[in-house]
Amino acid sequence: MDHTSTFERILRGILLALVVLFFMFPIFWILLMSFQTNESILRMPPSVFFTPTFDNYIALVTGEMRTAAGSLQLNFMQNLWNSVLLSTTSVAVALVLGVPAAYAFARFKFRLGEDIAFTLLSFRFAPPLLVLLPLSLYFKSLGLTNTYIGLIWVYQLICLPLILWIVRGYFEDLSPDIEHAHRIAGYSWFQTFRKIAVPLALPGIAAAGLLAFIFSWNNFVFALVLASADKQPVTVGALAFVTASGIQYGQIAAAIVMSVIPTFVLAMFAQRYLVEGLSLGAVKG
Amino acid sequence: MRKALPYLLSLPALLMCIGILIPFFTAVYYSMLRYRLNLPAMKGFIWFDNYINFFTDPKFWNTLKISLIYAGLTVVLELILGLVIALLLQKRSRVNNFVSILLLLPLMTAPALAALMWKLMTNPNFGILSYLVSLIGFPDMKWGSDPSTALFTVVLVDMWVYTPFMMILLLAGLRSLPTAPFEAAALDGVPRSFVFFRITLPMLMPYLLTATLFRLLDSIQQFDIIYAMTQGGPGDKLLVFQVQAYLDFFQATNVGRSAALMIILWAITYFLSNIFIKQWLKLRERAHGAA
Amino acid sequence: MYDKEKGLFEAFVKNKLSRRELLRTTGKLGLSAGAAGILLTQAQTNAMASDFDWMKYKGSKVKLLLNKHPYADAMIANIEAFKTLTGMDASWDIFPEDVYFDKVTAALSSGSSEYDAFMTGAYMTWTYGPAGWITDLNEYIKDPAKTNPNYNWDDVLPGLRASTSWNGVPGGELGSADAKQWCIPWGFELNNLSYNKPMFDKVGVQPPKNLAELLEVSAKLTKDLGGPYGVGVRGSRSWATIHPGFLSGYANFGERDFTVNDGKLKAAMNTAGSKAFHRDWVKMIQESGPKDWANYTWYQVGTDLGAGASAMIFDADILGYFMNGGDNKEKGNLGYAPFAANPAAAAPTPNVWIWSLAMNNAGAQKDAAWYFMQWASSVEHDLFGARKMDFVNPVRASVWNDDEFRARIDKSYPGYLNQYEVSAPGAKIYFTAQPLFFDLTTLWAENLQKMVAKEIPVDEGLDKMATEMDQKLVEAGLG
Repeated sequence: MDHTSTFERILRGILLALVVLFFMFPIFWILLMSFQTNESILRMPPSVFFTPTFDNYIALVTGEMRTAAGSLQLNFMQNLWNSVLLSTTSVAVALVLGVPAAYAFARFKFRLGEDIAFTLLSFRFAPPLLVLLPLSLYFKSLGLTNTYIGLIWVYQLICLPLILWIVRGYFEDLSPDIEHAHRIAGYSWFQTFRKIAVPLALPGIAAAGLLAFIFSWNNFVFALVLASADKQPVTVGALAFVTASGIQYGQIAAAIVMSVIPTFVLAMFAQRYLVEGLSLGAVKG
Repeated sequence: MRKALPYLLSLPALLMCIGILIPFFTAVYYSMLRYRLNLPAMKGFIWFDNYINFFTDPKFWNTLKISLIYAGLTVVLELILGLVIALLLQKRSRVNNFVSILLLLPLMTAPALAALMWKLMTNPNFGILSYLVSLIGFPDMKWGSDPSTALFTVVLVDMWVYTPFMMILLLAGLRSLPTAPFEAAALDGVPRSFVFFRITLPMLMPYLLTATLFRLLDSIQQFDIIYAMTQGGPGDKLLVFQVQAYLDFFQATNVGRSAALMIILWAITYFLSNIFIKQWLKLRERAHGAA
Repeated sequence: MYDKEKGLFEAFVKNKLSRRELLRTTGKLGLSAGAAGILLTQAQTNAMASDFDWMKYKGSKVKLLLNKHPYADAMIANIEAFKTLTGMDASWDIFPEDVYFDKVTAALSSGSSEYDAFMTGAYMTWTYGPAGWITDLNEYIKDPAKTNPNYNWDDVLPGLRASTSWNGVPGGELGSADAKQWCIPWGFELNNLSYNKPMFDKVGVQPPKNLAELLEVSAKLTKDLGGPYGVGVRGSRSWATIHPGFLSGYANFGERDFTVNDGKLKAAMNTAGSKAFHRDWVKMIQESGPKDWANYTWYQVGTDLGAGASAMIFDADILGYFMNGGDNKEKGNLGYAPFAANPAAAAPTPNVWIWSLAMNNAGAQKDAAWYFMQWASSVEHDLFGARKMDFVNPVRASVWNDDEFRARIDKSYPGYLNQYEVSAPGAKIYFTAQPLFFDLTTLWAENLQKMVAKEIPVDEGLDKMATEMDQKLVEAGLG
């Protein structure tokens, strides 16, 4: 790897620059828009020169929006909080349930094992629309409509299969020898699982958890159908700026920026596990 | 105890999901009804008529075709691009690590909102992308509103949102590959292309399959991006399963037809994932047998 | 009042006003505004309270499902008046318009009793009514024990009252004697021209008077303005593409969507007159419409007019109204004109969209819900909203005659009252009420898109579309 030619280094550099341009330009543009008024966004032709304003962010944080139709109350911060609460707890629950199951599928050959694993994954196939209507009926009779618990349960549809399959793959890549050695040293199965297996698979768990978090964060149809306005996530909150008197692009852009920040911070935090800590190759030898 | 352990470990996860099975079977039942909420008098059990009707309905075949094309295109393109990016970032370094997290930003943007922004950016009057392509000789690019470029436009947005997903899974895979075979190959002076196709790709295969499987399941069910960009138009160009079923349910309140459509979609994904998982398990066996 | 405050803050931001001055002046404004609010509320309460036991459901609390809309804002701004009058409490869930009707369908189809009343469009009641989700409000309006004597139902514009009542028979005439009142009109929009006056002056054209002129003027605007295009109309793959300008012009030629014979429905979009209209409409979009017309919803049509990307729209009058204010680049530049597409027609025939209030049939406290509904659709609240807020267009004749309201509109929206008055007599829903409304109207829009994209010729496309619709009607037992 180290004997790369200059030509290749330049080529790699150019390719990477193009990649960053394609993926980052819209983000950059959204960031610019979040500091502009609607009038300045809707210019012909569009331009990068404008007088920055913090009004969009102020409106989101203070919960008051001034439009053609007067002053409106927003509860964007509530939406943001709902997203944080729903995504975090859903992923936490999915990890508690999914990691032991993933370990079981990776380490034990047991009757029906693959079938159970496949059934769990198959929940990922069910189009949300398919189960939503019956679900809203059953939720009503169970008294789960409009509860965080009900939503967290439904969010397992998104989180659990993802965590299960990714973490299972990581467990399988780990050699069982270390665990055996640990067991022989007199530790219980659970201690081995907790002290050896989970720490070793941590990068996989972190990656799966982060992806599950992102997918939960981006979902809004479950909450829309199953809960009332005070439990809606950030996506529904941002759509509130699509108003009869016009789309408030600046505020939507600001809402996107604010909704991305928590996930981004989490990703930066998990970075150590996500990319730096992936030293599995050494373990496997 | 030893025997029961794996069951005990997987049981909670299974129980958590089993509740979802009940609404699922309710939906299967609905799919066998002539059931339109605003024509209650017509309600009746009709066995598989909803399904049989699809076979003679050119609109259904159109939906099937578009959904498969869309899923195929996005998955293949995202796989290739994701792999290229992962290879570019393979080497552990501060910059590469930071870039890999940065590239996750599109994935963190809710697709419904991302599509709204793309719609603005591709607007012929105010859109920066329309402006930029007009500078390089495409003054009349109509993006999502033109039948000839609509598919290209939504696939582009899908790629922007979901390629990072592929990238991060493949990057994790690449970095976890054992170093010994590569060192040996380097010592022997084996050509790089040979190393890539004969060593890297096969060893990466389980990761490729997992990433592809998850993307495929999502992509064939795509709704947010397509609906927000074109509502399934222009004409019937982008009327994929989820958009059609959404309209059938929420606008027409045709529960029976909508459920039947969704069951077919479910069956397709079930079938596809079965193939993938079989392949995946086989690869696992082989890898572990070899080790 | 809002303008004054806004001016103050702007002055403060631009350093024209010290912090001390700002605080002092807003304090004064706030005080006087608050006092005015209380006075107004009291006046309303006194006027309404005579001869009717408004306090009958004192202490109960109604919950509403609302769309994020200026009409809802106007109601919320005046809710204290309701609380004072009835001793009741009200809470609400507001959802963005983008997902609002999905939420309504989800809530109603699950039989939820969470919401007592909700906002809806008249077309939606053609689904909700037969599905059994909403209550026939005639039971309430016609019962003097439930409805206050000053409610004055007949004051609501007759075309709107008729357009929100239907006997539930597919193809049944709206507002027939046996019709059920599925909802109460709350605010409405009719479809005419809103145009950019400086642009029209620059090119030297007058607002067109019929379809041929519309094509001609739009083409000239597109050519001579060098940038902005001539006329904005909707074009997305949705029923919403058909109902504004398109259907208003279509109906003006006496064309129908369906014919009803012996209770059987048949598509009528393939008549010679319909084909001629479609040809003109398609030509107009191709020559002088927005480039990416197939993306166009309410929002794009409005945004372009407000930002000066289009010279004129044939869409809801209140869309033009909204774009004349706010932070739109072209605010203050817009004019309004009535439009009769058919040169032989005596007057315009605008199709209407009516935001209405409907009652949840599964609701647990319908009588209390009706108290809210009759207050929210009362003359008093309508007046409050029309004078102080953007509760426009009002649905009551008496409000249209109110001097304060007229003066406000005339001052800032020149030509608006005229376009309204010329076309109001012909303003109603021109669709045939039937259960397949959304499927078939969306199909109509889909075919229109194909025609504009030149994927199918107009005449042949309409014949095929009519055949397909007839087949669907037969399948549903309607044709």
